[in-house]
Amino acid sequence: MNAGLGLVDGPLHFLSAAAAAHAIAARELSPVELMEAHLDRIARLDPTLNVFINLDADAALAAARTAEAEAAAGRLRGTLHGVPVGIKDIIDVAGLATTCHSRILADNIATSDAVCVSKLRQAGAIVMGKLSTHEFAIGGPSFDLPWPPARNPWNRDHHPGGSSSGSGSGVAAGLFPMALGTDTGGSVRNPASCCGIVGLKPTYGLVSRRGVFPLSFSLDHVGPMTRTVADNALMLEAIAGHDPRDPGSAAAGNGHYAAAMDRGVRGLRLGFVRHFHETDLPAEPEVTAALEHVARTLQMMGADVRAIRLPSLGEFASVNRVILQSEAWSVHARWLRERPGDYGRLARRRLLAGAFLSAGDYVAANRRRGEMIAAVNSALAEVDVLLCASSMDPACRIDRPADVDRTYTRQARTPFNVTGHPALAMMSGLSSTGLPLSVQFVARYFDEAMLFRVAGAWEKASGMDRKHPPIG
Amino acid sequence: MDKEIVELLARRAGLDKTLAEFREDVFVAAQQAATVAQKLAAPVDVRVETWPPMRPGAGL
Repeated sequence: MNAGLGLVDGPLHFLSAAAAAHAIAARELSPVELMEAHLDRIARLDPTLNVFINLDADAALAAARTAEAEAAAGRLRGTLHGVPVGIKDIIDVAGLATTCHSRILADNIATSDAVCVSKLRQAGAIVMGKLSTHEFAIGGPSFDLPWPPARNPWNRDHHPGGSSSGSGSGVAAGLFPMALGTDTGGSVRNPASCCGIVGLKPTYGLVSRRGVFPLSFSLDHVGPMTRTVADNALMLEAIAGHDPRDPGSAAAGNGHYAAAMDRGVRGLRLGFVRHFHETDLPAEPEVTAALEHVARTLQMMGADVRAIRLPSLGEFASVNRVILQSEAWSVHARWLRERPGDYGRLARRRLLAGAFLSAGDYVAANRRRGEMIAAVNSALAEVDVLLCASSMDPACRIDRPADVDRTYTRQARTPFNVTGHPALAMMSGLSSTGLPLSVQFVARYFDEAMLFRVAGAWEKASGMDRKHPPIG
Repeated sequence: MDKEIVELLARRAGLDKTLAEFREDVFVAAQQAATVAQKLAAPVDVRVETWPPMRPGAGL
């Protein structure tokens, strides 16, 4: 390894993906050393975080040795050469079980990689294993499943959010610098909000879903979860792109998403959707204060912040629920009839609801969806980016079902699953009890670069990328 | 939602076994569905079409 270039600063487990890849390319960091540092941390912390369903340590170390030899020979696979990544366990990794955190699929060995995993490997990333999720990305947190639910590294008694729970917890805790999650009603952005990391739900169709177990075909998105905005852009560049074998894949290609990140927000128009957290679902005062602080900061940096109105969160939520539960029923009907006892209670109740919705309900929801798309498009014709709440509360305790139920729907993420617009959630501050608070940015279709520009400006001003959970 | 109607709909959906083993869950699910469908507003314009969920390139 080279020495003295100063590319590795601080503990390896909190090194960003971009910094790690840069240091590996400069031969200042060994992929094996990086992987071993993460495996050591997993050995220490995961017994109480429950991030992994299946840690594939031997394969990860073998891949790191190969990456090291390739780097030594000057052969870099791509922008993520040698960087560890965790994969939510509804996404196929060849040779490993895709359990969906459920007894139903406990022995479901994937024969090939999902397209998003294959693209990450092509970029040089190394898969560490499969991560906890809410059962089938809908039923959790649950204690009646074969694996325990993941815990929040900021406070293990609290929920890390879901359904991409292991992805959020593991990235925040420094078990890996990046992870794949999926988002049907907010499942990338919820754990990003609860765990204080950066989670992106890209434009519908930008990232292939082939090889990802479906929850709701027309609402499902695959998204990157990282500790920094730059890493999120880097990961999106690796996984975006048209897939002719995914019927929901968009014709758009991928882009250079980080290109505008350092341009600041001067002259940009930001629409602040205050009614989401002020009247639709009144947020905790600390959440509101943090959102106002983000808006003021961006305004002081030169953005023009103005008020924007959208349909109410209640309207968005009912459309999302009807579509999600109808489509999910079509996936799960046979198992719900034949093996109801193999589901956990939460997933069983949520999935069964689809049996009681009519075709008329489904059509009505999709018609309202068209009007909601028009409303968001209209707002985004007036402004460049929307700023709004993600969660209305900090993460609740994981062992209090009533609190989980109460906070489950108190969020502003589902609107953008309904409309398909790209949406990014990240930390806005810390609560008085030391738990992350969150903000969400939303942009026009396929304008993820604009999201990264605004999110990057907030990150730079606030230093949120340098705040880590007080563990280990 | 009336219990007899829920049972009827559950049996029509092939959920006899589920009804026998997890009766309470079936009723909770039916109530959830009724609540969410009730909250669904009718489209403002009756000519509005559905969003084509499988054509994002054109639809978006």
